Order: sequence, then C-alpha cells, then structure tokens
Amino acid sequence: MACQKAIATIVVMDLTEGSVSGSQHVCAECAEQLGVTPPKQPKFSTEMLEDLLGGLQPTSAPEPNAEPAPTLACCPGCGLARDDFRQKGRLGCPRCYEAFRGELLPLLQRIHEAQAHTGRLPSTSVPDDPEAAVERDEAGLSDLRQRLEDAVRGERYEEAAQLRDDLRRAERSDER
Amino acid sequence: MGAPRDDRDRARSGGPGDFRPGAWLQGTGPASEIAICTRARLARNLQGFAFSPSLEDEESERLYHYIVDRLQLPGLPEQLNVVDLDPVDDLERAMLVERHLISRELASNGRHTGVAVDYEESVAVMINEEDHLRAQVFCSGLQPDEVWRRIERLDDALMQRLPMAWSEEFGFLTSCPTNTGTGLRLSVMLHLPGLVWSEEIDKATNTAQKINLAVRGLYGEGSRALGDFYQVSNQVTLGRDEQRIREDVFMAVTKIVEWEQEVREALLRGSARIKTLDRVHRALGTLERAQILTSEEALGSLSALRFGIHTELLDGFDPLDVNRALLLSQPAHLQRYTRETLTPEERDQRRAQLLRDLLGCAP
Repeated sequence: MACQKAIATIVVMDLTEGSVSGSQHVCAECAEQLGVTPPKQPKFSTEMLEDLLGGLQPTSAPEPNAEPAPTLACCPGCGLARDDFRQKGRLGCPRCYEAFRGELLPLLQRIHEAQAHTGRLPSTSVPDDPEAAVERDEAGLSDLRQRLEDAVRGERYEEAAQLRDDLRRAERSDER
Repeated sequence: MGAPRDDRDRARSGGPGDFRPGAWLQGTGPASEIAICTRARLARNLQGFAFSPSLEDEESERLYHYIVDRLQLPGLPEQLNVVDLDPVDDLERAMLVERHLISRELASNGRHTGVAVDYEESVAVMINEEDHLRAQVFCSGLQPDEVWRRIERLDDALMQRLPMAWSEEFGFLTSCPTNTGTGLRLSVMLHLPGLVWSEEIDKATNTAQKINLAVRGLYGEGSRALGDFYQVSNQVTLGRDEQRIREDVFMAVTKIVEWEQEVREALLRGSARIKTLDRVHRALGTLERAQILTSEEALGSLSALRFGIHTELLDGFDPLDVNRALLLSQPAHLQRYTRETLTPEERDQRRAQLLRDLLGCAP
C-alpha cells in the first residue's frame, strides 16, 4: 500500500484486543487512502512540539557573506544536530539543555508558561552521603574537563577560560 | 481448552500471585468510590549518559546494569525486586502494562529495560524508559500527600546512589521538555459514570484543563476513556513546585468528585431514578447472562455495576470483586489467567464466563 515516494509520517497499527498485531509506515496520502484519519492531538504531542520548534526561526536570516552565528550546530555532549532537535522536540543528553538553550527557552515558555525551575533539587534535598558526594564531584569534574576540551576544540576561548577557572576551583576543593 | 475448575476460588486465594489486584485497585482510602487511585511519577536521568532513546546499544546495556547494581544496594526505603524485561514475553509485558507497572513505551522500546517493583505493587521504578528512570508510587483512593511522601523518600534514596542530571535553572533534565523541572506527574484515576451518563463530563474536563491539568483515558496519553474511567494529571512540570502541583491536582479532583457525587444524587431522584435503575440492571443482566463479551462491553457493564454498588442500588457484591474483574477482563490478563492463547472470539466467550464466575452469577 505504501507509495515508497513520500516520507512516511504515520504508523498504522493493527490492534487486536489492545495488542499490536501488525503495523505499517505510510505517508499522509496513503493513510488517507487506507481510510485512516489523523487522531486528535493531545495538548503537547511530539508532533506539536515539532510544530512549535519548526516555528522557531533564527532571529535573522544569515547574510551570504556574514560571519557564522556564534551558536552550536550540534550538541557537544551527544552530537544531536540543532535541526534534529527542532524537528523532533527531544533532547539527546543533559548537555543539550545548554547547547540549545536559545531554542529551548521559548519552547518551555509555551509548554509550561515558565522558563525556570521552582522546586526540589538534589543539592537541597539530599542529606550528604560521603560516597555519593565523591561520586558526584568526580562526575562534575569529568563533565567540566569534557566541556573545556570541547570549548578549546571549538575555539571558543572566552568560554574555555571560564571553564578552566571553574575546573581549577573544583579541583582545589576536591583536594581539601 | 478445558475451563479452569473454579476461577472464583483461584482468584480469591490468589493462585499465582499475578491475580492479586495491585495497590491501586484495593478500593480503600479517601473518596475511593470515585477516586480509584493516586499515582506520583518522577522522571530522572543520570549524569554522564545520553538520554535513553539516543544511547548506542552498548551504552544502553551499560546504563541498565549500572542502575540495577545501584538499585540492589541495601538501604532503599522500599523493598524492590528488579524484573529484567529482556526474557519477558509480549503477553507478560502486556500484563504489566494492564497492571500499570510499566508503560507501553517501556514494553516496546526495544532497549534493555527492567522494572523494580515491591510486593504490594505500590512502587514501580522503570529502567531505560524514555528517561533513564521513571519512578512511580500508587495509593488507593485520593491521597496526593501520601504518594508524594513515599516518592520523595524514594527519590532521596535514589539520588544518594545515582548521580542525577539537573541544573539550577531547569531543575531535573529530561529527554522531553514536557517533563523538565520537577519531572513530577501526579495523576488521579477517577470513575465518573454519573458525569458521563448525565453528559456533564465536558464541564469537568474543561475545569481541569483551565488550570493546565490533562484529562486522559485509563491507560494514559492517547488512550480512550473506557468504562467511564478517567485520569486527571498535571501538565506543567516547570515553574511550579511539587507542593503547588499537589494542591492544583487535589483542588481540581476534589471539585470533580463533588460534582460526580451531586450528579449521582440527581440520577437517583425523581423521574431519573427509574432510568438509572434500568441502566444498572441491564448491565447486571449482561454480566449475568451474556455468553460473548468484548473488553469494551465488559468495562461498560462493570462501570454500571460499580455505580450500582456504590449508590446502594445493588447489594450482595463486593466492590473488590468488581475491581478484580476490571483487571482480569483485560486481554492479557484473561489469556494468562486461562493459561491459553485465545482467538479474539474465544477471548470474548471466556471473558463472559470469567465475569460470571468472579461475580458469583449463575452459569
């Protein structure tokens, strides 16, 4: 049934008593021929996120000879491309939050009507357990080292200098 | 194809442990006639790993074992037993979904997944779902503070043994931005036949939606409100703290429960009473006499029966039996219970028979 021409955007699943007994991936046109109408979207479906993200255009179109904008094309942590994030609305790793912060803030505003967290955090809620604290520190240090490396590779020297200072501070407090 | 000798005794005595209804179907707790159960869910991810859907197979495997090793260390506030889902077949997975212990996503995502569950089935920690960890606590009835108290303690313990991903600005970092912040989804499952029958259900759902709460069917996102069962949950996880989320959900649910009570009273008064009686007794007649029952018809009839019991139009039925019947008439439970793979037609016959047995009706 699938035309093999257009991109499949709809998965038609055969349900037998609530269990999936078969499925096919088809484009919107083929789905219509199959008599499948798109389901009513829940308030924040993945598709809606894609729409929201798709609507987030860069603030100004790049001039042909302009300097590239100082933003990341992909996340240094997991390699997720900005365009993929825009399309799918899913983040690839914790570091995507910083890498795609510019896109993320308006999106969070639309979903939650807020852009910043209020509520509990590990630092305020967990009584300190020495072993876990060591582990957290180690994780934090290796994260900083990784970010420093990425910044140097990406020739973002201002950010690298800041990260180097952070790392030194963290290492000093670790030695204490 | 031999029928079980005595389904009712088997279900009563528990038989295989699977046939106990979980904590969420105990039928106890505040407002449990209408608010069947309260659930709190926290989405958490670990530092140093990509989110589960982006992990390579090898990393996914490493993450799974890393989490399971840490979960098995002593000192958790709940006694959890880790079930590795790798060797678990589709039917057993579908049963876990029907029992609300795992999500459909976890059952079918293709990664190495697992779930840590307590004996009472009141706690379930899913591993390698869309987020690395999805911890859930269930309580029967309307108990938002109690589920929060338990999940907060569990979360503290998890954070002591696993380095969670978070930031001051965004709170807990999750794979989908719809869960960012608290990562908390607090939901209450409601049985609202009165509002459905009197066609006032939209009023209730609109009220909830006005304060950014979601109203969904029995099995979450995209599922239909079968048997007049609904779930009300918070949609916003960022910018509102856990207490505010609890207050919002509690306030909306309390209002909906009051409406349902008012409507139920109206349905038992004046000229409405005979129609209501007719509806309840027709459902009972179906359950007593039908030889073929689809899952949808069974849920609809059980909903009316549950209404009849709680409004004292019917007596002689134990509400817990109705809750048990609600679970056992689901497709996966039905097949597991009869220990046979059944065609859809056979299932409908077996469902009719099982419900007659469970509810003590004539054969």
